[in-house]
This record gives sequence, C-alpha cells and structure tokens, in this order.
Amino acid sequence: MKKDIVSFAMGNEAITEGALAAGARFYAGYPITPSSEVAEFSSIRLPKLGGMYIQMEDEIASIAAIIGASASGVKSFTATSGPGFSLMQENLGVAIMGEVPCVIINVMRSGPSTGLATKPAQGDVMQARWGTHGDHGIIALSPSTVQECFDFTVKAFNLSERYRTPVIILTDETVGHMREGYVRRELSPGEILNRKEPTCTPADYKPYNFEAEEDGIAPLAAYGSKYVFRINGSGHDESGDPCARPDNADKFIRHYTEKFIKNRKDIVEVKEFEMDDAEYAIIAYGCSVRGAKAAMKLARENGIKVGLLQLITIWPFADLEVLEICKKVKAVVVPEMNLGQILGEVIKVGQNYTKIAGVNRIDSQIITPYEILAKLEEVAK
Amino acid sequence: MKAWQIILSGVGGQGLMLSGNLLGSAATVYEGKKAAMTSAFGVETRGTFAKSDVIVSDSEIDFPEVLKADVVIALDMIAYKKYADSLGEGSLLIYDESFEHIDCKAKQSAFPIFKIAKDKGNPAAANIAALGILVKLTGLVSEEAVRSAIRDEFGTRERLVDLNLAVFEAALEAVK
Repeated sequence: MKKDIVSFAMGNEAITEGALAAGARFYAGYPITPSSEVAEFSSIRLPKLGGMYIQMEDEIASIAAIIGASASGVKSFTATSGPGFSLMQENLGVAIMGEVPCVIINVMRSGPSTGLATKPAQGDVMQARWGTHGDHGIIALSPSTVQECFDFTVKAFNLSERYRTPVIILTDETVGHMREGYVRRELSPGEILNRKEPTCTPADYKPYNFEAEEDGIAPLAAYGSKYVFRINGSGHDESGDPCARPDNADKFIRHYTEKFIKNRKDIVEVKEFEMDDAEYAIIAYGCSVRGAKAAMKLARENGIKVGLLQLITIWPFADLEVLEICKKVKAVVVPEMNLGQILGEVIKVGQNYTKIAGVNRIDSQIITPYEILAKLEEVAK
Repeated sequence: MKAWQIILSGVGGQGLMLSGNLLGSAATVYEGKKAAMTSAFGVETRGTFAKSDVIVSDSEIDFPEVLKADVVIALDMIAYKKYADSLGEGSLLIYDESFEHIDCKAKQSAFPIFKIAKDKGNPAAANIAALGILVKLTGLVSEEAVRSAIRDEFGTRERLVDLNLAVFEAALEAVK
C-alpha cells in the first residue's frame, strides 16, 4: 500500500523530499541562505537512501559535481541563492551544451550581489533565462505553496530526464522558508521518468544523434557503463567529437532551443483561477501568487471580475496562454518582486490587445493583496 | 471556524519558530486544518527582533503573512513596544507580566509566561508557556493536538518531552 505522509514543513524541506521521491540520489552544494535547508535535509536524508551528499568548496564546483554525477547515471541536484547562482552560470552552459539532466534550485533572495540574505525577491527571473551565454532554451518552474515545492520538484526531475536538460526551480525566500501542511506522496513508478538509455552496440553509440530519434532526444548512456563517450562543452558533432563546421553549429545551437519549442505542450504549464467570466486578469508566479489570489477574491467582493493566471513554468514562457488572456480581458496586472522582468514578457505578447500594468516591489517585503487590489481598481477606472 | 491570524514575537533564540511550528503541526497533521507560517528574523542568531506569523483556517490560506492580527504574543520588551505602538482595536496583545505596561489601542493581557516556564524547570520554555496560553484563550486548535505535536517534535528526548508538556499544562491552568 502506498504511504502518503502529511507534515507541516518548510518549502525547502518539501523540495528536498520531492527530489528524493523523483529518484535523486546525489546532492553537491555550498550552503547559502535562504536555500541552506535543502542542503541540510539532503545531508540527513540522502545517506539513509543509499545516496550521497557532498558539501563542496563553492558553487562552481557544486554544479560541476552534479553534472559529473548525473553523467554517471545518478539523478543529481544542487541548491543555492542569487550569489551562488551567478557562480553557476558557466557550468549551467556546460549542462545545456552537454545535454546533461540535472536540477538546480535557486531560492531567490534580494540582490544584486550579496544583497539582503534573509529577505525574499524574484529578481533572478531573467538570469535563469539568459544568465549563461549563448543561445539556448531552459526550463524554470516556480512553486507558490509548500505542496507545489514537492510536486514541481518531481516535475523538474522528470522534464530534466526526458529532455536531457538542466531544469531550474526558481523559488524565493518566502516560499522556501514558509511552512504549510503538505502531503508527501509516495509516487507510483509511472509518475517517475528516467532518461532514455542506448540499446545499440557501444561502437554504434552517438550521444548527440538527436535527429535519429522520434522524440528528438538522443539516449544518454552512463559513464562507467560499456558505452565510452565524451560530454563536450565545445561545439561537437553527433559523436561528441569537437566540430566547428558552420552547418553543424547551426544544427546543434538551434536544437538547444527547438527541443523546448517542439515539446512546448508537454513542458509549459499554467493554472487558471476564476478566468471564465473575468474582465481583468492577474498574471503571477511564486510567492506573488499568494497575494494575487487574495486580491482576486477582494476585487470580486468589490464587484470587479478578476481572474488569475499562475505561471507554473516561467521558462519556456507561457506566451500562448498569456496571449489568450490578453485578448480576452480589459487589463492585466503583473505583480512581481522585481522591477518588471515577467511584465516585459507579458507586454511583448499582449501589448496590442490590452492594457498591462506591473505591481513591483524590490524592498524585500512581499506584495500584499491590498497593493494588487489598488492597481486593479486603478486599471478598472 | 474563522481564519486565526497569530503573531508570535520576541527576539531571536526564544523559539518562536518552534512554537509556531508546533501550532501549525497541531492544526494540519492532527486536525486536518490549513495552516501557514512565515517568519521574519535578522541575520543575527540571537537577540534582535524576530517573529513568526501563523495563520490557521478551515479553508485555503491565500496570503501567508498576517495582515490584521487577532492575537500577538510578545516575549520581549522590543516586541511588546513595537506591537503596543502599532496594533489597533480588535487585536489582543499578550505579554509577560514582568514587562512595564504600555497603554495601547489593542486589548491587552499580561501572564506570568517566564515564571511558568521557570517554575517547571527552564525559562527557555517560555515559548511553550505562551503557546499554552494562546490555545486556552482562543481554542484555535485542541490541547490534545498540541500535546501530540510536542511529542513528535522532541521524539525520543524524553526529558524535553516531559518538560515541554509540563510547561504547556501549567500554562493552560494559568488561564482562568
């Protein structure tokens, strides 16, 4: 019989449990507020499950270690906050170029630089998208409740394995440190995805031959198995050998973006609340969803028909879902704890169809329902 | 049941996150209610203002921070003064009887919070005494649910289970 456990726990604990439930057995990291509990819980839980926890010398080494561990076939993850996420950007590119599955948890705090260590922010949204250099796609998920911390981390590992890509959990101090009741579900085997492994002979194995696959994702063998291959951050061909041919570069660099576009339906996820009769919409993600939900209810009590679109995947951006809403409502309000990073994406998609306004705070205080309500009343005038 | 908005305040090191955690566990794990807790604290481990916001409700909790407190417990003068200055009518401010009284708009009640903990063996358990007073005054969770949460929290450390349960019981009795 499956065992589901109800507990009152921190977002960071639920993230750790989600990772373990999804099959992660390797963590390497350098503790940093407000993500340290992920390291703490991982250090307690992983050895008991036959996994491994390593505290590294810094964040550059941390992501290098999880790329290596994943290449040897073990689902791997790390957790950090803005300063550490900055240090990880170069090797994030290695994981993208090498197409190595791994999960990076960024519990956002106020920045830039060391900023305000114990205070929340949502300022790393664009860094998650474009922080590492070169054209590439990325997946980033943003939980708003402790339950979502668990559920989205499971999803992050599944997407990571299916599409051979790093996936970022972009959460924030509020959600990471918030405690709520949540159900730690025991997952059925069908809920856990594992990377596709090669079935060909070792001599025939090409770790990057994505064109030969129906789903466009090449199988990934494990280091230490009978398959001998290289993972290469430099331009490479299907075999992983260095290759600087223009047509080869074009094919692979497009692939790092197109694999997400082609599979958009499977990756992009949103939740809608009260959108059916909505005349106005709030688009929110992460901790800002909480104030947004309360604002939506207050506005409806005041006779303004408001709905909410919660972005579960921040990247790839839910452009089609946002467009549909922009075409339908009289105005859209985007609350976020930065100066308009997702607002800019909403404007890009919907500016020809509706009025779009931001509610922005960068003073480390989470956006209250009243602030969002005031903006709704302003645009509804 | 209405949504209870509670603030447990004092200074870092007093166990305000622990008592908030016990309240949240009692509500969610043992009574099937919804609860959310957020905390504010400085980069210091001890000594500066710290608080935990705990919301307990039968329905989904949207905004996780307290917007209008039903009850504030202040375990330090810094916290007592802060809330005496800012709370409005409709809130209840509970503080230790050793603090110098400050007049304010909110309803107030002083209890021998530290004395209860000290008499049972350890003044550091004042957070649990405060929890007992809160539960007795409001009934927002059952006493038995809190006892279960205390047993879970301290697990096999029997001395701590006994101490905290004794402080909790004494606090319940202190509320007439």
